[in-house]
Amino acid sequence: MKRRILSGVLASTFLAASSLVAISTVSGASAQLTTVNFVYDFPGPDMEITPIVAAQQQGYFASQGLKVNIIFPPDTSTSSQMLTTGAANIGFITTSDMAVAVQAKAPLLSVANYSMSNNWGLFAKPGSKLTLANLKGKKLFSWGDTWTNAMLPFVVKKAGLKMSDITVVTASNDMPLLLAGKIDWTTSTSNYGVPGIFGATGKNPVAITGAAAGVPNVPVWVYATTKSYASAHASVVKAFLKAVLEGTKYASAHQSAAAAAFTKAYPKSGYTAAYNKLGWSLTVPLLTNAKGKYFVQTDAQWSLLNQGLVATKQIKTAPTPSTYYSNAYLPAQ
Amino acid sequence: MNRFKIFRNLVVPVISFSALIGLWELIILWGHVQGYLAPTPLAAWEAISSNWSTLWPLTSWTIKETVWGFGAGAVIGILFGVLMSKLRFLQRSLYPVLVVTQAVPIVAIASPLVLLMGFNLGPKVVIVAWIVFFPVTVNVLDGLNHVDHDLITLARVLGARPWRTFFLIEVPATITPLFSGLKIGATYAVTGAVIGEMAASSGQSLALYQHTQIGQLNSAGVYGTTILMTAIGMSWFLLMITLEHLCTPWLRRSVARRWSRGARTLDNTYVVKGAK
Repeated sequence: MKRRILSGVLASTFLAASSLVAISTVSGASAQLTTVNFVYDFPGPDMEITPIVAAQQQGYFASQGLKVNIIFPPDTSTSSQMLTTGAANIGFITTSDMAVAVQAKAPLLSVANYSMSNNWGLFAKPGSKLTLANLKGKKLFSWGDTWTNAMLPFVVKKAGLKMSDITVVTASNDMPLLLAGKIDWTTSTSNYGVPGIFGATGKNPVAITGAAAGVPNVPVWVYATTKSYASAHASVVKAFLKAVLEGTKYASAHQSAAAAAFTKAYPKSGYTAAYNKLGWSLTVPLLTNAKGKYFVQTDAQWSLLNQGLVATKQIKTAPTPSTYYSNAYLPAQ
Repeated sequence: MNRFKIFRNLVVPVISFSALIGLWELIILWGHVQGYLAPTPLAAWEAISSNWSTLWPLTSWTIKETVWGFGAGAVIGILFGVLMSKLRFLQRSLYPVLVVTQAVPIVAIASPLVLLMGFNLGPKVVIVAWIVFFPVTVNVLDGLNHVDHDLITLARVLGARPWRTFFLIEVPATITPLFSGLKIGATYAVTGAVIGEMAASSGQSLALYQHTQIGQLNSAGVYGTTILMTAIGMSWFLLMITLEHLCTPWLRRSVARRWSRGARTLDNTYVVKGAK
């Protein structure tokens, strides 16, 4: 009997000790996670955030010792400022945001490309006549963001017109205006413009994008941080990009599942599952360069953007490309 | 006005305003706040003056939206107030509807208005009028509901027709509450115009200009635009105060000026305008 009591006490003690060890290990692990505040470029979630969602859900961030909080800015123009004020550590912004930020002497650093080419352009309802030859006098939608402000002058220049030859309409949503005929064409990137108009009309839109629209072939989006954060937390930035690379590769290899996971993570995003699936499938081909590499930035891309922005008088001087970016934080591929 | 009153009414606000500007300048300079985060007042002022040729057309457009919207809102507000005080069934049926209109978030109606009316003046005027009419209606209604009934009864006994009773007794008694409503509306009118501009604009708008400056990290441009918007609201409020001052002489003197003693009573004697 005594032996039975003793073995019971010992077993209970062992169980309790094991539980304590397990609890302390778990809490220790969560305590070791480094928090990264990641700011998106749009006030709400959309399918371009799929790699981040995949990295969260597949545990890639956790395995890198990171806990990533996704922050949505109040408007399409505040992400850069949130980075500079420290409200966010790493962000997702357009390359033109980077250019104007550097011009304003904001200490931002682009640490990786998100996309590798320019898929921005003009979109119209199915069956519309959309050519640069009939651009004059048209009402074009703009989100009023830096990217659209930067790209429109290229389109107008290619058409041999002036900005005063078109009417730029800025509003909170383009699709109702386009469908109601209040605007002639909208501006967007192919991975947003196509699913948006397809979802509303059931048909593919008429579009002119990239070189056909006269815009320089530069990446649209980058991952950025501040120079001070990158130098003080280099290992965190590297770990973040490594996890995002894994997330991107996973989401590219499992497109339907990744898009569905985004839809499930953000059921109130306002986008349908079909939109997210189509949008993400159109995004995937944009993510790698000619060598099949993700993230890699080049002097050439920033020089080209510089030239374009200076030529259209959107920035006064062209900084050296190395002012904008660093590939030092990229994971091995 | 004696010197003390001039000092109290003009110099003190100017001093406090200047102190506020000075404090702003010192916080930016001492705090080493970067120019892309927040500007000094001087930088904000320079952003206005150096871009005046761009900003003036946008400012005049916003003023136009505010003037038309305010005018429409004030007229509609006065009409509703008078009609509802005269027709009780209208007050009972309309008042809850008017309250509901104000519970609807303005930003929610802005987009549908754009779809209906386009990008020009129309939706902005409707939004401003929507904001302005309610405080005017409520104040006019309150003013008319609180007119001294003994005075109205006396006028009727003396043989006054309803329209004369209205203009000689009810209107003067309503002017003070009316201007309270107009001052509230004046303060919010520019907010309505900017909300309308944010909902949709086709180039001519201070709100869009400000949005672009945010994207350019040009904080001086952002603050400069805010100063212009505030100036429009303040000017409109000051205009209402001036109008109120001119329309309510009895609040400052108990005897009407000689030139304005045109209102005779029914028994052919003069009365002080607006006296209850």
